[in-house]
Amino acid sequence: MVSTIKHYVSVASCWARLAVQRQLEYPLFLFSWLLMIPIQYFSGIWMLKIIVDRFQALNGWDFPQLTFLYGLGLISHGIFVVFFINTWSIDHMVINGGFDRLLLRPMNVFFQLVASYVNFIGLIDCIPGVIIFLYGADIAGFDWTLANIGKLILVLIGGILIRAALFTSLGTIAFWTKRNGSMVGFALTMLERATMYPLSMYPYFLQALFTFIIPIGFISFYPAAEFLNADSGGLDLPLSFALWTPLVGVICFLIAGGIFKFGMRNYESAGS
Amino acid sequence: METVIEVKDLVKEYIIVKKESGLRGSIKSLLFPKKTKFNGVNGISFSIAPGEIVGYIGPNGAGKSTTIKMLTGILHPTSGSIKVCGISPQADRKAVVRKLGVVFGQRTQLYWDLRLGESFELLCRIYQIDQQAYDDNLAILTDVLKLQEFINTPVRQLSLGQRMRGDIAAAMLHSPSVLFLDEPTIGLDADAKHAIRNFIKEINRTRGVTVILTTHDLDDVEQLCSRIIVVNNGKLVEDGPIGSIIHKLTPHRLLVVELHEPADDLTTPHATVIKQEGLKIWYQFEKESISASELIAALSQKLPIQDISVKEPNVEDAIREVYKTTATR
Ligand SMILES: Nc1ncnc2c1ncn2[C@@H]1O[C@H](COP(=O)(O)OP(=O)(O)OP(=O)(O)O)[C@@H](O)[C@H]1O
Ligand SMILES: [Mg+2]
Repeated sequence: MVSTIKHYVSVASCWARLAVQRQLEYPLFLFSWLLMIPIQYFSGIWMLKIIVDRFQALNGWDFPQLTFLYGLGLISHGIFVVFFINTWSIDHMVINGGFDRLLLRPMNVFFQLVASYVNFIGLIDCIPGVIIFLYGADIAGFDWTLANIGKLILVLIGGILIRAALFTSLGTIAFWTKRNGSMVGFALTMLERATMYPLSMYPYFLQALFTFIIPIGFISFYPAAEFLNADSGGLDLPLSFALWTPLVGVICFLIAGGIFKFGMRNYESAGS
Repeated sequence: METVIEVKDLVKEYIIVKKESGLRGSIKSLLFPKKTKFNGVNGISFSIAPGEIVGYIGPNGAGKSTTIKMLTGILHPTSGSIKVCGISPQADRKAVVRKLGVVFGQRTQLYWDLRLGESFELLCRIYQIDQQAYDDNLAILTDVLKLQEFINTPVRQLSLGQRMRGDIAAAMLHSPSVLFLDEPTIGLDADAKHAIRNFIKEINRTRGVTVILTTHDLDDVEQLCSRIIVVNNGKLVEDGPIGSIIHKLTPHRLLVVELHEPADDLTTPHATVIKQEGLKIWYQFEKESISASELIAALSQKLPIQDISVKEPNVEDAIREVYKTTATR
């Protein structure tokens, strides 16, 4: 067990190193890095301004709380994109036979899929989220205690696992349909609507859907409601969402892993 | 008999969704997909002993790549059983692929945007190769496959022949006991083919690696394989030593005779004239019923012969014979 973990960590770190190297070699790297950071910074400020102009108190959520929620949703999306961007191309790999290579290596296929590309450049895209979140936390009076920071990290990890599970399950459908009908765009819209705005403003059945069936309410909405004592639309669970979100995340992730493994049995590679 | 590969009644069924053209067609096939079943591999059995070099040949679409993908754990067979090194690749893929090296000539297994050397480094970690063994192995492979000129080039920039050598080296890094090569010489020039054939012979001789090779280049087969398995339409057609297959499938030989002046009667009871061009005549005869020298003696009695040569059938003739007799579906 320990040696297996060591093995996987050693391969993952080798991949990460190679990914950084590769991204550094990109000819416009420095340029884009230097250009993108201020652009991202200003777009963050600009988005914030739009939020300030547009957000009215909504279903019992006041402006500072809305900003906090919006920022949390953005950050969790940004980090997800850094580590799990390859889950977006599962259907594509199913169709063009891209799993052949992974199947020939003596390691878990899903691990290889995800670990083989860490999208470090995506970190820049997190800047607006961080700005908006910090501003929101400030005006909403978020307490930066050690306990709260710990909770925040747990919530982010759980939320990222829930996202990964969602995209993995969607990509896995291609094992049966053998079609490249990418659901990524659709899922992204759905996630944005449900993680960056209060879930409590949607009809009851959507709230139930996003809580119990596709539990994306756990990514940011419920934790934010708890952090700020805002209206959670009636869902009360014992203990903290800082525990529930990671738990839901791990469960979803394991289920998605199971579906993926089952789908692999249907993998047909590609002719040639 | 000891075996490394044991295949029984292997079947792979593909489900093909027919797509219709036009908007109406694509809506229709979205709602009511027309599915047809089709067996890419249709009941194949064979076994391979350690240290053999086996040519797995057949025309396009015969099911060669499909078989190799099942043997290497990429595809799940619809029915039938596979044992590679005593283990089923479907039951324990990771344990099996550790012992295999696989090269698909059509498609690289290397990481497209890494340098060749970086790919190797990664494979070293993936297969947990001991550093000393890795260094030694890499040194040998670099030397034999002449990798030094492009080991620092990203894989996507390599030429076909360079990439193929890189792929073969990558497949051999972890010292596999079985090597699968699906068209390893496709698109290569004579030099590169020569190098790769030598390499295959070498690892077979020195390390006792079992090699399963598919190819359309029958020179590969002639030079490397002691045994061939011929498949067509997903079924096994022939399996045996190359010589006996040639003998069995092409029992005749050719005698080419050149005359110094025209003759009236060319016929002989021992052979048939199959072709005539001016003073050159091609006789076909059964090697079972008459020897070449007897035929020559008989012919020189009646014909003004200037020159004579005997043509042995080769693998190519034999294979063409097989493809002809097992008609396409
Ligand atoms: N992913 C797939 N889906 C559907 N049919 C397939 C698939 N892969 C292969 N086939 C079909 O299965 C049959 C066998 O294909 P395979 O690739 O094994 O042939 P092959 O012997 O390797 O041929 P070639 O010499 O052209 O490489 C072909 O008729 C092919 O159309
Ligand atoms: Mg093929």
